[in-house]
Amino acid sequence: MNNRVPKSVPAEIRASLFSGHDWIALAIVSLTFVIPFTSTNPQVLSQTNLILIAATAALGVYIMQRLDLMSFAVPSFMAIGGYTVALLSMKLQLTDVFVLAAAAFLMPALCAIPLGALILRLKGVYFVLVTFVLTEIVQLLLFEAGPITGGSNGLVGMPAVKIFGMELWDNPHVLLTTCGLAFFSFIITSVFTRWFRSEFAAIETNDVLAESLGLAAWKYKAMAFSVAAGVSGLAGFALVNMLLTAHPSSFAPMSSVNYITYTIVGGKASILGTLIGALLLVSATDYFALSGEMSPGLFGLLIIVVTMVARGGVVGVVSGLLYRLAGQSPSLKNGDHDLGGNGEKGQ
Amino acid sequence: MTTHSLSAGALHADRIAKSFGGLKVFHDVSFTVPAGGLLGVIGPNGAGKTTMINIFSGRLGLTSGQVMLGGTRIDGRSTFEIAMMGLVRSFQHTAIFNGHSVETNLLSALRFSRRDRSVLERLSPLLDQFGLIDNWQRNAEVMPYGLQKMLGLTMALATQPNMLLLDEPAAGLEKSERANIDTYVKFAREEFGCGILLVEHDMEIIKRLCPSVIVLDGGRLIAEGPPTDVLSQPHVINAYLGGSDEEDSDVTH
Repeated sequence: MNNRVPKSVPAEIRASLFSGHDWIALAIVSLTFVIPFTSTNPQVLSQTNLILIAATAALGVYIMQRLDLMSFAVPSFMAIGGYTVALLSMKLQLTDVFVLAAAAFLMPALCAIPLGALILRLKGVYFVLVTFVLTEIVQLLLFEAGPITGGSNGLVGMPAVKIFGMELWDNPHVLLTTCGLAFFSFIITSVFTRWFRSEFAAIETNDVLAESLGLAAWKYKAMAFSVAAGVSGLAGFALVNMLLTAHPSSFAPMSSVNYITYTIVGGKASILGTLIGALLLVSATDYFALSGEMSPGLFGLLIIVVTMVARGGVVGVVSGLLYRLAGQSPSLKNGDHDLGGNGEKGQ
Repeated sequence: MTTHSLSAGALHADRIAKSFGGLKVFHDVSFTVPAGGLLGVIGPNGAGKTTMINIFSGRLGLTSGQVMLGGTRIDGRSTFEIAMMGLVRSFQHTAIFNGHSVETNLLSALRFSRRDRSVLERLSPLLDQFGLIDNWQRNAEVMPYGLQKMLGLTMALATQPNMLLLDEPAAGLEKSERANIDTYVKFAREEFGCGILLVEHDMEIIKRLCPSVIVLDGGRLIAEGPPTDVLSQPHVINAYLGGSDEEDSDVTH
């Protein structure tokens, strides 16, 4: 009997770093680098820009969902990243894209550490409420801190960013910058969430049990909140770079509903879901010409419908269909290997 | 018993008290679980048994007193920190990672406690007896309650604790499954050298396993000693069957 257990135990607890869905998402984001070199259609360039910014921002929601926390704080950290870039480029004439990207990531990530210490003790609806209030406070600060943020006028007239001394000023180049920031964000999110997937899955499933077995849950929550803030900051950078303006209205609290919708409708189990959700809903918003006032309401309705009829989102439903076609039944939770098992069930 | 267990520390509660606002859950309670020893804790519902486990395991703070593990004071420390010091708890209800296989649940326990897979080999007699090997790749969430309960207990043991806090391990188990608790406790002590604090309502298990018990009632330690002696004391019987003081009082009025 003794030799039955060791035979069943995998040689390594960690399975491969990236799942199939991660590779597909990274491949799709990589393919967008082709668009700035092949298209001059302003509609295509603008739409791709918007989709990538939305997907990058939604990664902040996706990361916190790994811990079963619904974050409404994405616009706050986008604002911190975006305004940091605007201030550095306008006040200090720092326009190097790598320096600005590092600042856009680090500033929100650092701000998230003390904030996280305060709010990461909360769960469920309390966490939702506090992150939403945080977004409202940041919005208020953007309006009230006029000497720094420009108040209701925002910061207008940002210089174009540069890469190796070359200005990225026209539409294709702006999209190229967004592609780079999105790709970097997807890589960071994939590596981070997959590297700690066992810990995140345990905290998501039963954090009390995980802690009683010796897992320092607060450490992983703090890291996740910080990285989610950093990635949101990169989305903020891409947004102000596209608009050449940092304005409070770009980071409206209600926009957090959009980012949550992209994640849930696409499928919150993988970064592919986040990307697909952003792709479908940003396109749908454009296609149906939904007004800004209507979209949060319709997106809220969409969240209710998806939560009731297809909890795995678009990617979950498609994956389920593919499993059935292949004659398999994904009886275990999506990605059982997340907790350290050796089954590669996909997500 | 291994040399590892002999060097492990005893668990000592020194005049501990816990209140929630004006409600005193327990007051001035002291006892010791020797290294590698076994102490039963009994008492009626609401006596503060689970609250005590929550305090020892770091989920709740003390109002006064102190808890020592070996020579180290552990009250006020976080749950994971106490677990890494070798004091691990089980839960009254099933506590597993739902939606994941038996194997994955056990591997997660090893991973979080920084143990290697050789522990599974040491646990294999238990895993076999409990039927967990036969369900090795099965989704633990859909297993029968008894299997889930034994999986949770085995996960706690997989962390190789020095001291185990078992919170009603037999609760919800069928009579035929309760022998597994005897096996588990004996295995934990003999193979891993664990000290055990066993909170349990099943007096047969308490009598079979525990050389000594303490009785909590109304937040106070009202008796301690061998189970047969303690369970024959009138005030312990009253604590379980209802206060005779009230009845006497009713009669006299």
